[in-house]
Amino acid sequence: MERHPSYQILSASLSKYPKAAGALFQTYNDLKLAQQWSDLEVIEVPGCSRYALRGRRPNTDVVLNVVPCSLSESLSTDWIRTTFRELNSPAHVYLAINTEDSSIVYYKISPGIVKPPL
Amino acid sequence: MASDSNDDRKIQLRVSNHIAYVWDVEDIATLRAQHHICGVLTGTLPHLSQQNVFLGVPLVLLPEEVVLLVEKQLAVLIDDPNAHQPAASEALARWNAERESSAKRQMAASEAERSSEKAAKLSTSEAAVQKRKEREAKRAAAARAKALAEGLPIDHILASVPSPTPNTEGRPATPARSAVPVFNVVIPASSSEIDWYNPDAHAYSLLEAARAVGLWSYPTTPYERAKCRVFQDLWEKGNFMGGGIKFGGDFLVYPGDPLRYHSHFVATVIESPTARLTPMEIVAHGRLGTATKKSHLFCEWDEVKQEVTYYSVEWAGFG
Repeated sequence: MERHPSYQILSASLSKYPKAAGALFQTYNDLKLAQQWSDLEVIEVPGCSRYALRGRRPNTDVVLNVVPCSLSESLSTDWIRTTFRELNSPAHVYLAINTEDSSIVYYKISPGIVKPPL
Repeated sequence: MASDSNDDRKIQLRVSNHIAYVWDVEDIATLRAQHHICGVLTGTLPHLSQQNVFLGVPLVLLPEEVVLLVEKQLAVLIDDPNAHQPAASEALARWNAERESSAKRQMAASEAERSSEKAAKLSTSEAAVQKRKEREAKRAAAARAKALAEGLPIDHILASVPSPTPNTEGRPATPARSAVPVFNVVIPASSSEIDWYNPDAHAYSLLEAARAVGLWSYPTTPYERAKCRVFQDLWEKGNFMGGGIKFGGDFLVYPGDPLRYHSHFVATVIESPTARLTPMEIVAHGRLGTATKKSHLFCEWDEVKQEVTYYSVEWAGFG
């Protein structure tokens, strides 16, 4: 992992919250290389003992927030509430759910009752 | 029955074995139109071979719907088994007599209607009368011939053939069938018509009172309490709700009458802010919601703050 090009950028974040390191590393690489996001930066979410990622999808201006987690973790609505609070109340938070075979699924969470797109 | 005005009359929820049934059609209409509560019709029609297409009364309500209606003082719980008291023999005899006389009146009315329909169909023109006479004569001749061939006494045969009847109004010209006519008779099935059904003496307007006598016990667990509070909050926002089983949630949530909308949301109740929520649940609920063009709502109940917090979940569309 240390020899990977992304490691340099992430090394401080990875060592501060070791339990969340795997998910952070995987998600960062996926967003940067597979999803081709730009302007990726790392934001601390101390209440959830991890770092989140912020960036833009290709050809868009909107900045999105992504919180990595592992499929094996136990979350709660309090945990979700904390991510919104510590990321400065964005309109949505994307949860990046990481699995052991390195698959990632992204789910969009919005506070309140939000109608589905038509 | 008490002489309350209709405004005071609460919806009658007739409870049997911890399930609330609505048998009065007026109440069912009121529930939907005024209180945006739909329930599920569960009455089947005995003559239909498929028992899940056309359904009628009674309406069955979700336990959360019952709790809401009673707490808002819109309905009362009736202890239905105990409201049906043993009938005095005099009352039974009276009921029986009324039923018989009603049946007789209905049959007489049906018979009168049938005869007048037949008479109306019979033509009174000369040609028609003549034809009928010829037909009768032919039939009598045929019967006579048959009798001779079989060696039966002619008198017997002649007697069994009805002589041509004079064509007075209302008398059928063709021989009447020997079978007894069959009529449909309507008999009252509702308990409300019965003297020995006394719901007022077994009505409970408070959930705790009903709980004390073992009539109604919902909610009992924290999860059930959370479901009641979330249901109430969604209802107070004006939504119609239905059962969520078909979409893997606790409730379906419609912004308006389900007859006009496909539901926008599937709601899952989260018992408390610290209750365990796994990423797998988020995936399962979120994906199903997205695939069916709905949003999945995680509805968190906070017992301490006494409030509901909603989070809408859908698949991100990338990754």
